[in-house]
Amino acid sequence: MFAANKAALLGLVLGVLIALLTIFGPLIYPTDPFEMVGAPMSPPGEDLLLGTDYLGRDILAGIVHGARTTVLVGFSATSFTVVIGIIIGVLAGFYGGWVENLLMRVTEFFQVLPGLLLAMVLVALFSPSLPTIIFAIGVVSWPPVARLTRAEFLKIKQREFVLAERAIGAGNWSIMWKIILPNSLPPLIVAATLGVGVAILFEAALSFLGLGDPNTYSWGYMIGASRDFIWETWWAVTFPGVAIFLTVLSISLIGDGLNDAFNPKLRLL
Amino acid sequence: MRTAFKTWSVCLLLLAAVMLVIGPVAVNAETPKRGGDLVAGYGQFPRHFNHAIQSGAATATPGTQIFASLVEINQKWQPVPYLAKSWEVSADKLTYTFHLVKNATFHDGTPVTSEDVAFSFEIVKKNHSFGPSMLGPVDRVETPDKYTVVFKLSKPHPALFLVLSPPLLPILPKHIYNEEENGPIRKNPANIKPVGSGPFKLVEFKPGDYFVLERYDKFFRPGRPYLDRMIGRKIKDPSANFIALKKGDFHMALFNSGLRLKQVEALKKMKHLVVTSRGYEGIAAIYFLEFNLRKDKFKDVRVRQAIAHAIDKNFITQKLHYGYSKPATGPIHSSFPWYTDNVTLYDYNLKKANQLLDDAGYPRKANGIRFSATIDWYPGEPDSMDTIAQYLKPQLKKVGIDVQLRPPADFLSWYKRIAGWQHDMTMSNIYSWGDPMIGVHRLYLCNNQKHVVWTNTSGYCNPELDAVMAKAAVETDGAKRKALYVEMQQLLTADVPLIWTHEAPYQSIYNKDLRNVITSIWGSMTPFDKVYWKDGHAPK
Repeated sequence: MFAANKAALLGLVLGVLIALLTIFGPLIYPTDPFEMVGAPMSPPGEDLLLGTDYLGRDILAGIVHGARTTVLVGFSATSFTVVIGIIIGVLAGFYGGWVENLLMRVTEFFQVLPGLLLAMVLVALFSPSLPTIIFAIGVVSWPPVARLTRAEFLKIKQREFVLAERAIGAGNWSIMWKIILPNSLPPLIVAATLGVGVAILFEAALSFLGLGDPNTYSWGYMIGASRDFIWETWWAVTFPGVAIFLTVLSISLIGDGLNDAFNPKLRLL
Repeated sequence: MRTAFKTWSVCLLLLAAVMLVIGPVAVNAETPKRGGDLVAGYGQFPRHFNHAIQSGAATATPGTQIFASLVEINQKWQPVPYLAKSWEVSADKLTYTFHLVKNATFHDGTPVTSEDVAFSFEIVKKNHSFGPSMLGPVDRVETPDKYTVVFKLSKPHPALFLVLSPPLLPILPKHIYNEEENGPIRKNPANIKPVGSGPFKLVEFKPGDYFVLERYDKFFRPGRPYLDRMIGRKIKDPSANFIALKKGDFHMALFNSGLRLKQVEALKKMKHLVVTSRGYEGIAAIYFLEFNLRKDKFKDVRVRQAIAHAIDKNFITQKLHYGYSKPATGPIHSSFPWYTDNVTLYDYNLKKANQLLDDAGYPRKANGIRFSATIDWYPGEPDSMDTIAQYLKPQLKKVGIDVQLRPPADFLSWYKRIAGWQHDMTMSNIYSWGDPMIGVHRLYLCNNQKHVVWTNTSGYCNPELDAVMAKAAVETDGAKRKALYVEMQQLLTADVPLIWTHEAPYQSIYNKDLRNVITSIWGSMTPFDKVYWKDGHAPK
C-alpha cells in the first residue's frame, strides 16, 4: 500500500510543500525575480536570505517564482506526452496488423533519436518560448508511453471479460476506451508520474544550455545564467539546483509509492 | 660631526640625482635578445591570412606579421617609415609620393617593388569591405620607377596614412595574387599559404586548430625580428584558455579572447602577467543599443531620450564590468583625437525618463506597461552583450517598457534579424578602425542602409549630419576637422538614434617578460619584429 512505503510518504509531504510554494509563494513573496534588488553577487544572508546573482537579482525570488514555470512545464509536457503516447499505443495495440507495424516503426524512429538533441533542435527551430519547450519535451518523450500502452493492450485484449464485452455487442471504440484502457491505467499512471520528473530535468537542461524561455524565470534558467559565475556566486546555482533535486526526488518517490500501491502481488503481502 | 653629515647628505643627493638620470636610460638600454616562441590563443581563429580581402581583427592579427605595409602608425597616431623609407606630400594635399626601401623581399625571395604597391591598392579597393570608403578618394597610383609610388587623389584624404598602415593595406606580391594568372583572388590558394614581406612567414596551418609563423631571415629591417616563432592556437574552450594563461602556456591574449571579465580580473592578480587597456586605441570599439527607427515606437526622439535616461552607464561599467569599460558619451571613442564630451549627456534619471515617455504619448496602462519591445544581441562577448540585455529588461521595466529578450541562437540567426531590419532593439558594437570616416560614418550615413550588419541598420537619416560627415571626410586641417567631428557628435547625441552604452573592456594581457608588445594604436595588429623576450626565451 502507498502509506506502507515510508519513502513514498516523505515524497508526498515534499510534493505538497512544493505545491504550496507554487500556488502561494508568489503571493507571499512578490519580489519580481527579474528585478535587480540588491548589490550584484551579494552572498546569502548579507542583504537577502539567499543572496543575489551577478546582476543583483534576488535568488529567493527566483526560487519562489521559478517554481511555477518548472511545475507548469513538468505537468504540461507530461500531459502532452501521455496523450500522444496513449493514442498511438491504443491504436497500435488494438488493431495490430499494418496499423501496429506503421505506428511502431514511427515510434522506434523517435526512440533512436537522442532526446535532448532533438529537443534542442526543435526549440532552436521555433525560437525558445514556454509553449515550444513543452512541445519539444512532449515530442521527444512519448515513445515509452506508447510502447507501454501497446503492451498492456496486447495483454488485456485477449482476456475473457473483453471477449465477453464483444460477445454482448460492444463496438471497437467502446472496447478500446471504456474497457481496455481503464484496465491498463495503473502502469501508465506510474510512468506519467515519473515522466513529470524527467520533463522538469529536460526543461532545466534546455535552460542551462541557453535554450529556455528567456522571458520566464525558471530554476534551469537561473543555473544557466549563473553557471559562468559558479566560483564567485555558488549560491546562485546551488539553491535552484537543490530545488530541482528535491522536486524530482519527491516525484520519483511518489511514483515508486504508486507502483507499490498498484501492484496486486504486493497487495497480498 | 656637522660637516660629516653635510658631506653625506650632499653625496646622497648626488647619488639620487645620478640614479634619476641613469635609471630610465639603464632600463631602455636593455639589449634585445634573439630567440624564443610567442604562443597566443585566438578566440576568433582566422580562416585564411589575406586581410587585403577580409576585414576584421581575426585575419589582420596574423596578417600584419606576414605582410608588410608602407607605413606603421605609432602610439601618437603618427606615421613612421616601414616599407616606405620616406615620403612627400604636395601642397594641395592631392599627391603623396612614397620612396620604398630597396632591400625588402617577399618570402619567396622576389624584391618588393612599386608595382606590388599599386597592385595591392587595387585589390584592397575592390575587395575589402571598407575599400570604397577608405580608398575612394584615391584616383590612381602611379609607379614612375621601381622604388617610387605616387598616390594621386581626387579630393583630400585626411586618413590616408592610417589606411596605408598594416591592418588595412597589406602589400601583396603581384606575381602570386594577380587575377589574370592565378584566378579570382578569393579562391587563390595563397590565401592560406600566404607570401608577404613581413617579419614572419607562415610555415604550418591547420584550419580551426593552430598556425605557426617563423622568423623570416631576410626581413628588410636588419637584425629583426627577434622572436623565432609566433604560434597561434584556436581557443576551443574559454576556461582552457584561462588556465593556459594562468599556467604560462599561452603568453598573450588578444581582444580578451573570450575571457569573462571576472577571469581578466583574476589574471590581473597573477604576478607573471601584464594586464593593460592599451593597444586598442585604433580599434576603438564602442557598444550600443540600436533602435530600429522604422518602428513607430522609436520614431519620437523623446522615447529614445527617455531610454537613454533610464540606463545607468556607471552601473554597467563599474558593477557589471568591474571598471574595465568606460561609459560612452557619443559616437566617437574617447581614445580618438576628435573626441569631445561637450555633447548632450543623458544622466541616469528615471523621473525624467518617465516624464519624457508620458509627453511622447505613451502613458502607462493598467498593468504599468507603456509598450513592449524585443531586444536581440550579438552572440559572443557576453559581458558586453548578453549581460547588458539581461540588465535592460528589469531596468526599462522601471519606466514602463516591457522588454522581451530574444537570445541569438548563433551568429547567423542574429545576422539575419538585424540585416533583415526585423529587430526592435539590439545590442551591438563597432570597431572604429582608426578614423571616423573608415569605421564610424557607416552607421549613420543615409545611403548606407544595407541588408548587412554593422551598416546603418537602424535606418537613421539626417541630411544635415550627412553634410557634416562629407566635409569631415575631406578636411585635412586638423583643427577644422575636429570642429566638424564635434558638430557630428553634438548632432548625434541630441538625436540619439543609438544609445552608446560603453567603450570596449578589452585588455592586452601578456607575459611580463615580453618587451615592446604595444608600440602602436593598432595593438597586436602591428608587426611584432621589435618584440622580444627579456631572456631570449619564454620563461620556463
